[in-house]
Amino acid sequence: MNRITIALIFFLSCFVNAQNNAIGTNEKLVFTASYNMSGILNNLAEVRMETSEVKTSKTTLLRLKCTASTYSKWDHFFKIRDLYESYVSPISLKPYLYKRDINEGSYYKAMKYTYDHKTNTIKTLQQKKKKDGSLWGENKTITVQSKTKDIVSTLYFIRTLDYNNMSVGKSNELIIVFDREEVKAHITYLGKETISTVLGKLPCYKLSISTNKVDVLKGTNSNIIWLTADANKIPVFATFKIAVGNGELKLKSASGLRN
Amino acid sequence: MRKLFITLGLITAILAVILSVLPLSNLSFIPAIFALILGVVALFVSNKSGASKKIIQYIFLLTIISLVFATYKSIFSESEVVNTKELQEKEVESEQEAIDELEELNIEAEDLEDINLDE
Repeated sequence: MNRITIALIFFLSCFVNAQNNAIGTNEKLVFTASYNMSGILNNLAEVRMETSEVKTSKTTLLRLKCTASTYSKWDHFFKIRDLYESYVSPISLKPYLYKRDINEGSYYKAMKYTYDHKTNTIKTLQQKKKKDGSLWGENKTITVQSKTKDIVSTLYFIRTLDYNNMSVGKSNELIIVFDREEVKAHITYLGKETISTVLGKLPCYKLSISTNKVDVLKGTNSNIIWLTADANKIPVFATFKIAVGNGELKLKSASGLRN
Repeated sequence: MRKLFITLGLITAILAVILSVLPLSNLSFIPAIFALILGVVALFVSNKSGASKKIIQYIFLLTIISLVFATYKSIFSESEVVNTKELQEKEVESEQEAIDELEELNIEAEDLEDINLDE
């Protein structure tokens, strides 16, 4: 009987760890993306992370939407209007559909992943713009691991991890599919830190992100993200090393929080 | 030596003015400070040798123009996103398309509760 109880508690704790208790269905986070050169910050773009419910005839999914738009002063030089979406289970954040539509200057690219969790495959469709303005597409089916997620659902998934019971230095492996390739990422918990945010001075979980794909993010411990150490675990600040210099992402406003 | 300081001072001052009118105006503070230092050194050397200081005045003038312009922009110009109508339309269109695609996937409510214990 005791063994059954212990097994039950173990399974229940697994469920609790994997469940989404942090992300609401109407959450809206607005960030300012800046480029840091010799300590002088230059605001480049506004990044929005929004969630909403999406109803189909059989179920309700969670739409995770991220947009990036350059500030008007940059539009004449390099206009960015990017849209990233992931349609996930509101309980486990398991992705079912991912869409990426990037419009950067004269460059256009669209990507769509349709997940098949029974066969662990993803049907992908990549579209690019030809010189004459017409689109050409390429279909490809890729085999992935069962826990593979896209970049958007991964960004939200890290908020569901239990950092309270995590020891400092503990690393979690995540597998992200980006540009139709699986990339291994490691999220390392670096401890708690109090930082100044738009919501006030808050204790935060400090996490470092590293990937095995060197051309995505440079360095190992230079890509840091701070999540509020509360039930919402919202990202308030992030620094990342890119090909040239450093980037920063700072929370500007937050609304529709779950807790 | 005086000529070198004046040349470098002019180059950095012109660079500061150019940067101050671009969106990267905050960066103009770096060449502006260099231009000021070079201008002061050139002025000091000119005073010692008794040479003309007219060109050095231009270094200071250009530096002051860039500093005023960059400071004004950093205080009064707000970072805002405009012209997002196309993106908003795309968001709505994309959601509608996604709903149609999700309908085809035939996801049942029970599938959503299928939590991956590996995680």
